[in-house]
Amino acid sequence: MAREKIYLEEVFPSPFMQLWGIFRKTPVAMIGFCCFIFLIFLAIFAPVLAPYTPVDGNLDMILLPPAWHADGNVSYLLGTDELGRDMLSRLMYGTSLTFGLSFIVVIFSLVIGVVIGSLSALTRGIKSSFLNHFLDVVLSIPSLLLAIIIVAILGPGISNTVWAIAIVFIPQFIHITRYAVKEEFRKDYVLASRLDGASNFRILYYSVFPNIVERLMSQATLAQSAAILDIATLGFLGLGAQIPLPEWGAILANGLERFYIAPWTVYLPGLAILFAVVATNLVGEGIRHALKLRKEN
Amino acid sequence: MLTFTLRRLSLFIFTMLVLTLLSFSLSFLFPGDTVINHSGQINASTTELAHLNQVYQMDKNIFHQYLAYLSHILNGDFGQSMASQSPISNEIRKLLPATIELSLVALLIAMLVGIPLGFIAAIKHNKTSDNVILSLAMLGYSIPVFWLGLLAILVFSIGLGWLPSAGQISLLFEIEFVTGIQFFDILLSDSPYKWQAFRDASAHMILPACVVALAPATIFIRLSRASMIEVLAASYIRAARAKGLSFQQIIFRHAIRNALIQIIRHVGLQFANLVTIAMVTEVIFSWPGIGRWLIDSIYQRDYTAIQSGLLVLSCFIFIVHILTDFIYAALNPLARGNKHGS
Repeated sequence: MAREKIYLEEVFPSPFMQLWGIFRKTPVAMIGFCCFIFLIFLAIFAPVLAPYTPVDGNLDMILLPPAWHADGNVSYLLGTDELGRDMLSRLMYGTSLTFGLSFIVVIFSLVIGVVIGSLSALTRGIKSSFLNHFLDVVLSIPSLLLAIIIVAILGPGISNTVWAIAIVFIPQFIHITRYAVKEEFRKDYVLASRLDGASNFRILYYSVFPNIVERLMSQATLAQSAAILDIATLGFLGLGAQIPLPEWGAILANGLERFYIAPWTVYLPGLAILFAVVATNLVGEGIRHALKLRKEN
Repeated sequence: MLTFTLRRLSLFIFTMLVLTLLSFSLSFLFPGDTVINHSGQINASTTELAHLNQVYQMDKNIFHQYLAYLSHILNGDFGQSMASQSPISNEIRKLLPATIELSLVALLIAMLVGIPLGFIAAIKHNKTSDNVILSLAMLGYSIPVFWLGLLAILVFSIGLGWLPSAGQISLLFEIEFVTGIQFFDILLSDSPYKWQAFRDASAHMILPACVVALAPATIFIRLSRASMIEVLAASYIRAARAKGLSFQQIIFRHAIRNALIQIIRHVGLQFANLVTIAMVTEVIFSWPGIGRWLIDSIYQRDYTAIQSGLLVLSCFIFIVHILTDFIYAALNPLARGNKHGS
């Protein structure tokens, strides 16, 4: 970097900036990151960008194949479904339901999980042991099974699905925060600030959190890829988003009856889910890779 | 080993208590009358209802109610299904073996494919084959299972016509119900068409088992790769190399054994994941298992079936979990000293 150094002072980038520096140099991770940003952009601006509404059908244009097909029509780029609804618009609106909601769900569970986890990391003895056993039990039940049970209690619907998945993901954030905070609390720099007279809360906020934030982010990407799959699976099973919401899993289930004559109504939403999950996993993989490299240096 | 067993046993009892408590409280959370949710008798007359109230001790406090519920569960009485009005324990007895069969075959496939691939990736660490295997693993991990199942049906059943797309066995074969596990029942039966039936059942098994196995297999790839890399970096491997052992000897005699132990530890956790995937796959392939039954009961608002299904399925998952823990501890003496809970 051609920069005039006025003071003979070395600049140490913060841990987070170091991580970003390594992350930026991994091309695959950056591609994933760009796709991730693109999906977030699409989730927010889908109503502005989509050429048609997702619910109104054009009955003259039923089951139109995608535009590259011989019978396709270029004004319906990805074809239409059995009610003449534009697949492209439905998929774009679906981004804000499947991808956008999973993003919000993960942020929500992350915040609650981190608060409970860091508070519980400060407890000891029987309370701590009970929580540990309890978390073990909850974590041994698969997330989708638990979400299905909660949906069974609350009744089907997209908002109930979102609540169910948010509740299901909290324990794993509690677990990882608790583990990470406990590990950090054994280190010397925490002892140093404790000798300075800092309270537990102050140590948590100023010393420990900046050091565990990347680990939480890496767990959050794992949780998000699971959340996308869970929302889509519940939508597919008819327990999540209800007709006519353009949720990706629900679109796929909707196309099931015409699977053989109109395969694009099934493979396009599936590809969309695959794309979103791969993008999320690439970002997570990039973060974990960068964390490993930073530790080695 | 004795302390280890006792510790696991206490964890098991604690877990069972929490699970039964959860399923007990579901009766209160579900809409409708609690005692009807417990027993599933929606058409009970006034006298029957009074009898049920007395059996489930509904007039006493909640602790007595829980004990009454627990004694029912321990006697194998899960109540009746609200939809079909037949005892749930019979239905579970019929359906659970099919799920066990499917998930065990899938687990076997996942391990047989995933672990060797992971080892290959670790041995060729940071080379092209490592990267190819890792990228494939990530792709496999990201595919939604219901989509994969549909594509598999489209290609192998409709397109190529190689394999059947639904059910456990062709209706032409009459197999007597003995253990519930189809393959054993076929072998035990004295039908003259035993081998045709066996072949038919295997053909029905291939597609769903492979679909279920894909995601766990990718996780096994990552696990075995990580544990193999760790083992290969250990100093006893360097010592073996310095001793002049050939590459094959090092891998097969030293590295694989030590790497496998680490993987066995994770089989239990992966199994929970696999059972959930199996539930969704059962719906797509019309597999007569407990997962499809559970999802059907949600559509039918059959609350008694939902809570018993949850209890049985999570018990099954947890028992497998504990079993793999035992196998791990039996193979690895170092793990027995593990303190406090997990």
